[in-house]
Amino acid sequence: MNNLKVDALVIGGGIAGMQAALDLGDQGFQVALVEREASIGGKMITLSKVFPTLDCCSCITTPKMSAVAHHPNITLITYCEVQSIQESGAGYGVAVLQKPRYVDESKCTGCRQCEYECPITVPSSFDRGLGSYRAIRVPFSTAVPQKAVLDMDNCLLCGKCEKACPVEAIDFTQQPQHFSIEATTIILATGFELTQLGAKKEYGAGKLANVIDPLMMERFLAPTGPYGRVLRPGDGMEPTTIAYVQCAGSRDQTQGIEYCSRVCCMYAIKQAMLINGALPLAEVTVYYMDIRTFGKGYEQFYQNAKAMGVEFVRGKVASIREDEKHNPIVKVELTEEGRIVERTHDLVVLSLGMIPTASPSTFNLLPASDGFISLPALNASPSAAQRPGIFVTGAAGGPMDIVDSIVTAGSAASAASSYIREKTGMKVPQQEVAYA
Amino acid sequence: MAQPIPPPQPKILILATLAGGYAGADSTGQSHIDYPANTYILPIMCPVMFPPEFFIRAFERGIDGIIVMYSGTDSPYKVEAEGTAKLINQTYALMKERGLDIRRLRLAAICTVCVKPFLKEVTQMAELLKGIGFVKSELAARPVSPSAQGATI
Amino acid sequence: MPEKLKIGVYTCYCSGNISHTVKCEQVAKVMETQPDVVVSRTDMSLCSDAGQSQIEQDIKELGVNRVVIGACAPSLHEQTFRNAVTRAGLNPYLYHHVGLREQDSWVHTSDGDGATCKAMHLMAAGIAKARHLQPLEPIRLEAEKQALVIGAGAAGLRAALDIARQGLRVVLVEKSPFLGGRMAQLESVFPTGEDARSLLHELIEKVVAHPSITVYTQAEVKGVTGYVGNYGVRILQHSRGVREEDSEKMIAACPRLVPDEFNYGMTERKVIYRAYPGCCPRGAAVDWDYYLDHPLRVDGKEIVLKDEPKTIDVSVGAIVAATGFDPYEPRQGEYGYGELQEVITLPQLIRRLALTKDDKTFQWNGRPVRDVALIHCVGSREIEGVDEPHEDGQVNNYCSRVCCTASLHMAVELHEKFPALNIFELYQDIRTYGRGHEDYYCHAMEGGVRFVRYSGEERPQVAAAPTGDTHPVLIKVKDSLTYNEELEIPVDLVVLAVGMKPRQIDDLVNMLKVSRGTDRFLLEVHPKLRPVETAVNGVILAGTAQGPMNIQESLSAASAAAAKVLTLLGRGKVELPPFVAAVDAEKCNGAGACVEACVYEGAIALQTFDENGNEVKRAVVTPANCVGCGACVAVCPNRAIDVQGWTIAQYEAMVDAIGMSIVDLVEAA
Repeated sequence: MNNLKVDALVIGGGIAGMQAALDLGDQGFQVALVEREASIGGKMITLSKVFPTLDCCSCITTPKMSAVAHHPNITLITYCEVQSIQESGAGYGVAVLQKPRYVDESKCTGCRQCEYECPITVPSSFDRGLGSYRAIRVPFSTAVPQKAVLDMDNCLLCGKCEKACPVEAIDFTQQPQHFSIEATTIILATGFELTQLGAKKEYGAGKLANVIDPLMMERFLAPTGPYGRVLRPGDGMEPTTIAYVQCAGSRDQTQGIEYCSRVCCMYAIKQAMLINGALPLAEVTVYYMDIRTFGKGYEQFYQNAKAMGVEFVRGKVASIREDEKHNPIVKVELTEEGRIVERTHDLVVLSLGMIPTASPSTFNLLPASDGFISLPALNASPSAAQRPGIFVTGAAGGPMDIVDSIVTAGSAASAASSYIREKTGMKVPQQEVAYA
Repeated sequence: MAQPIPPPQPKILILATLAGGYAGADSTGQSHIDYPANTYILPIMCPVMFPPEFFIRAFERGIDGIIVMYSGTDSPYKVEAEGTAKLINQTYALMKERGLDIRRLRLAAICTVCVKPFLKEVTQMAELLKGIGFVKSELAARPVSPSAQGATI
Repeated sequence: MPEKLKIGVYTCYCSGNISHTVKCEQVAKVMETQPDVVVSRTDMSLCSDAGQSQIEQDIKELGVNRVVIGACAPSLHEQTFRNAVTRAGLNPYLYHHVGLREQDSWVHTSDGDGATCKAMHLMAAGIAKARHLQPLEPIRLEAEKQALVIGAGAAGLRAALDIARQGLRVVLVEKSPFLGGRMAQLESVFPTGEDARSLLHELIEKVVAHPSITVYTQAEVKGVTGYVGNYGVRILQHSRGVREEDSEKMIAACPRLVPDEFNYGMTERKVIYRAYPGCCPRGAAVDWDYYLDHPLRVDGKEIVLKDEPKTIDVSVGAIVAATGFDPYEPRQGEYGYGELQEVITLPQLIRRLALTKDDKTFQWNGRPVRDVALIHCVGSREIEGVDEPHEDGQVNNYCSRVCCTASLHMAVELHEKFPALNIFELYQDIRTYGRGHEDYYCHAMEGGVRFVRYSGEERPQVAAAPTGDTHPVLIKVKDSLTYNEELEIPVDLVVLAVGMKPRQIDDLVNMLKVSRGTDRFLLEVHPKLRPVETAVNGVILAGTAQGPMNIQESLSAASAAAAKVLTLLGRGKVELPPFVAAVDAEKCNGAGACVEACVYEGAIALQTFDENGNEVKRAVVTPANCVGCGACVAVCPNRAIDVQGWTIAQYEAMVDAIGMSIVDLVEAA
């Protein structure tokens, strides 16, 4: 990868980063988008459907991925990591590490011959370990770019892929490469991870076979998922009673996460509705303290779920254990009745919260009290980070849902655009974007 | 190929404005509410572009009921409300000449989020057609009026 | 010789959304047999990069020159596929989109066969139309590099500033005489505790100082014509009535007092007034609604002020609606509001505390307040069949998003200022979702605030306490935190945490032709794909006009709106769809019925041409002035005029395909 000079660097190719890059690219700025994974799409591309419209998620995400890939003003660089951000000239110099794909991107056509020949099967991180993929693979069917990546940690170096590749793109000798990007402004869109499934020992410390995280449920519900239906990972059985434990990774001092993760109520309700469609006989119970359906159309969505028969039980789940058949048993204090009961379910989803993917210190920024990037002018310039010219979008700046992420992407793009113009006095070349 | 061929149903053509009925039909879809499948929605800009003969021709080509879902007075086009009403009345006159039940043509103002009104119109027309049947029967029985000849476009 | 038609047909599974109901493979097979179809494919997700690439490849390699796609609603991805087709070198209007999801698979779930037959008919109709498609070019027009922002609250100010900073000119119109909107009525803002007006004034100063922003106060939009890139907007601006340097003198001279809306009617102000000390603009203004030609004595002379409204016409390329919200006004008797003096709204309490900042004790109506209750969800989360409908027959079934945190913020402030005060929060769910919001909840609990959880089906009852009671008001409520115990809470003050409702902007909504949702807030095209755009190209939303938001969220939305305006106008031109009338000069005989039928000025006219030495009249369309309604089409005796892209011949072909029996359609194979 050669060194680059751009108006704006967007770090992170999830929905927020893609939208910010598109908003800037559409205005005529030169944008570089760097992504840690081998494909853009972020967390959103792994989801099934999205609230509150129940649109299929890929219908919203894949066109944006495609638009980023085809945009004349956006340079997309996947499978790389930002190592440091230093002040330089009118902006920043960013040191980036290109990780080796062991596949020559310029040659690979995404034909997947290598994948079909590879003898090694590893659990698929895309399917959150529920399915599997090969040691060499195109990351997932709608990946952008459609380029194979080799997981060297699991490779036997058997050479079958090399033989299978019709364009001689396999290169076992690739080395990590360092390059730099000069950018006037930077947008951080580094996103979130779920809190740990095993963080709470009262909830089985991640060892119970049929206690899963919500992104696993997304993969069960997704038509592109590994099974195409909802089942228990423990034994493949179709569950008939499914429970959601809300605030399993949020509003919990014992985990050091005192904040609300904002999305868990809505994703639990959405999944409950989708389960209702996928398994009409299944009963879904949501154990909650407060239902926080605060967004546009969200309260109505919650009321629809209630009308559909999803059971909402106000209660604090004290613990989860399992019986000899690995059925999770939930011990819950029913606050409306003042008693503690044990209820057995076939499957329990812990509604885990959000923590930041990247430490703010990577970018020489301070975290807010919630650990996400601090936004010092929350009620004046809500996307501005502490360092001038660095802006934040999406869950990098705290938990938020897709709708809010997309709005903050526009906001960060706007702030970045103003910054570039004021900093450099530039007039953006009046490029034609065909039929945009 | 094992092709499922359900018994023929009367066909409802829905001409729906992009600014009104078509978006309303999409809203109904987003609400995931079922309605009869013998409904064929075509997007239109504004109903005033259609001459009355267009509707007669549609009936002759096997359409049993037509609902024009327009935007009424909320239209982005100045002529839509008045012009469409006039058009429908002219078409009714032609239908009467041909012995066609004028209930086969309906005009309804449907907005972008009009889920309930959309469903009501569709269900009503489907019910009506169940009762009065295919347009074929009426066309076969029609008296040939002089003005009908040469009116097809 | 015309090129040979080669139609490519694509039926999308939509990741199961379509294929769960519609047998896509069968549809594709039948479509393959339709005339001129050279390829018919299905795809799991056609809008993905791989799906789009397949189409591009077919255009390049198979020579496909018409494309028909059956997928989700065209409003979602018609543009996506137009772009893909363009990339492959095909004219984007040689593609037709059929909605198989919102209008088929999602609405016929219990009738899979019916849905499949319907898909076949609709796709066959699409193919029939495709045979008549002709290449079209968008209409390219110069765009005004100026935007109109309506409303100078936090969102409008932010949007105006961001648009101007990015190089466009802005006209900012505010109905009231002063800038700042609702934010000016707040004191400390969550979660930072900063002073609302200090934050606001920093923003206002930047807006006022910016050379590219023109601000009109006491101004309203009276008319909107045109389209994206070239809107003509008529603004009516009332006179301020007072020169800034005369402000004190004129205020002093003004005898009339009216309820002060800045303090929600709890105080009075003069008819010549400033909204609050330090407001912007600094000079006083006349409230013409109340002034009514009352003579004033100034400098020993009697004068009568005159409102001489000015009409200002501006040309703008885009319009940002930042019209904001009103706090919900409880109806007479709702929780005792308007009947008991001790029942007020949270915005009123914020103003009252601001007015009595220096008081050491908390008093209401001259009595010390020992116990206060804040009731959440007033005018929000209402339930159809339980809550009384509002004037328009609807209930406010939405959550107003900000009231929980606002209410707890208030509780914490009250507790800090008056530690002896007993505070009750009557709520359904505590929705302190944002950064730092949960801290207020925790502090409130630690500070001894009592939480009582009621159910929306059984809202708290507020009534005057029996005479001789220790407190003036008695609240009865079932508390689900104490196993539905029926509590009686005697209090000195009841504070209603009222929700948000959109401002009354019916005239503006009609002028802009924008849609409202069932919640009556302005409606975006799609919450994820186009979250700040309306269905009217060039009309953008900012802030609470769209739905409840806090300040941070409003500012974000406003900046996002600015980005959208820049994308639209930054290039100095806009492209409009080519769907306008076009005359076939060979068929036109100059009858002129089209000209008579057209109501748009300058859209169509008869012009004289020389044809083999003869003067003939032919209709000529001016595309920029034509809206494509087609009134001219219906009246043409020769079928010489059509709306491009929507021709009568295309509709006839589609109707024929739909009218065919399914057997004929399948057997046409």
